[in-house]
Amino acid sequence: MTMELVNSKVLKVGVQHGQTVTARKGSMLYYKGDVTFTPHSMGGGGGMPGFSGVAGMAGRMMQGEHVALMVAQGAGEVFYGLEGLYVEIIPLDGSSMLTVEADRLLAYEGHVQTSIVPLTSQGGIRGAVRGAMTGQGMFTTQVSGQGTVAVLSHGGCFPLQVGGYGGEVVVDPQAYVGHLGNITVDLSASVGFRDVVGRGSGEATQLKMSGQGTVWVQASEKKF
Amino acid sequence: MAQLRMQGHRVLVADLTGDTVRAITGSMVAYEGKVAFKSAGMGGGDGFKAALKRKVTGESISLMEMSGTGTVYLAVDAQDITIVELTNDVMNVEASQLLALAGDLRTDVKFSGLRGATSGQGLFTTTVSGTGHVALLSAGGPLIALEVTPQYPLVADPDAFVAFRGALNQSFVTDVTWRSALGGGNGEAFSLRFDGQGVVYIQPEER
Repeated sequence: MTMELVNSKVLKVGVQHGQTVTARKGSMLYYKGDVTFTPHSMGGGGGMPGFSGVAGMAGRMMQGEHVALMVAQGAGEVFYGLEGLYVEIIPLDGSSMLTVEADRLLAYEGHVQTSIVPLTSQGGIRGAVRGAMTGQGMFTTQVSGQGTVAVLSHGGCFPLQVGGYGGEVVVDPQAYVGHLGNITVDLSASVGFRDVVGRGSGEATQLKMSGQGTVWVQASEKKF
Repeated sequence: MAQLRMQGHRVLVADLTGDTVRAITGSMVAYEGKVAFKSAGMGGGDGFKAALKRKVTGESISLMEMSGTGTVYLAVDAQDITIVELTNDVMNVEASQLLALAGDLRTDVKFSGLRGATSGQGLFTTTVSGTGHVALLSAGGPLIALEVTPQYPLVADPDAFVAFRGALNQSFVTDVTWRSALGGGNGEAFSLRFDGQGVVYIQPEER
């Protein structure tokens, strides 16, 4: 399977027999060849750990990480795009997991696993507090396995290395797209920030990334 | 002096080496290193007089000071960014399109004529003077720099105007005729006219 960008906002996926690509419902622009689309049932695949089928689906809906998906299979080329948002292709080598919010996922190869994880799994109660304070919600999506993932952003996103020369990276929660690797995300609420950073409401929380990996940041503070 | 550089078209990178860069409040998307952020105050760090002027004129500009050692990434609503160099020069900027200031630059508020009253832009514009780098925002695509010469004055839409520099005289043109009064006008009743020698920057989107 090949995933490439036609331009910064349109993704082209080449599908062959025996392969599937899962994408956001409604994001298909056009396709060539013999391709069929089926709605993706949330259960079965990678629901919440410990849940399956209907229970997993209900779980997702409750968590607000519910995004309707569709699976394309057959032989041909499918073109995806959504609301003029920028698309970034992130290859996964299987060694580490990509953490991203479900509504930022445009498409991923069929054999890549996704699972919804509560933020409490990334730092206990502090993770939950972080989700509540930054408006990220209590759950996030983890993508694992070997393959390619296409992620959406407003205005395009750029990768920043965590744990390299610079050490820690601090990111605005609204501009945060996702991260790959062994990264600990911490909430940092510095009082000095309170009056200067944030959008309108005087929101002063920042995400502090430490560890080893890559974080993607978008060129805007607009969420969608 | 702190360096400003671009990462792509929509992200501005400020490399801080123990100095200070001022940027519009809330424009930070990420940073690395030891960087302190503090509000540059009501007058954007230009003292009481500027603060008072801003208060009175309503030409609001809210800047933060970033200092320390590290790299700061700035972006606003995916707008395109252009870095303009000033060498002992003055630039008039629309406050909403100013992103960052690096170097020995001062900001002030200037009366810009009656144009604002009807175009809804306010009667006052922000001036940036001194030597350094100014980062400007442009919505809808890259900033367009238009040369103005005495033979060819420029007329621009106030909603697309971002900044101008040089020996330019700015005036407000109304084109209200019986046509536009009857609703048959071209919809561009108010324009900004620039005479003289200089550069006018406009954005490809109307505010």
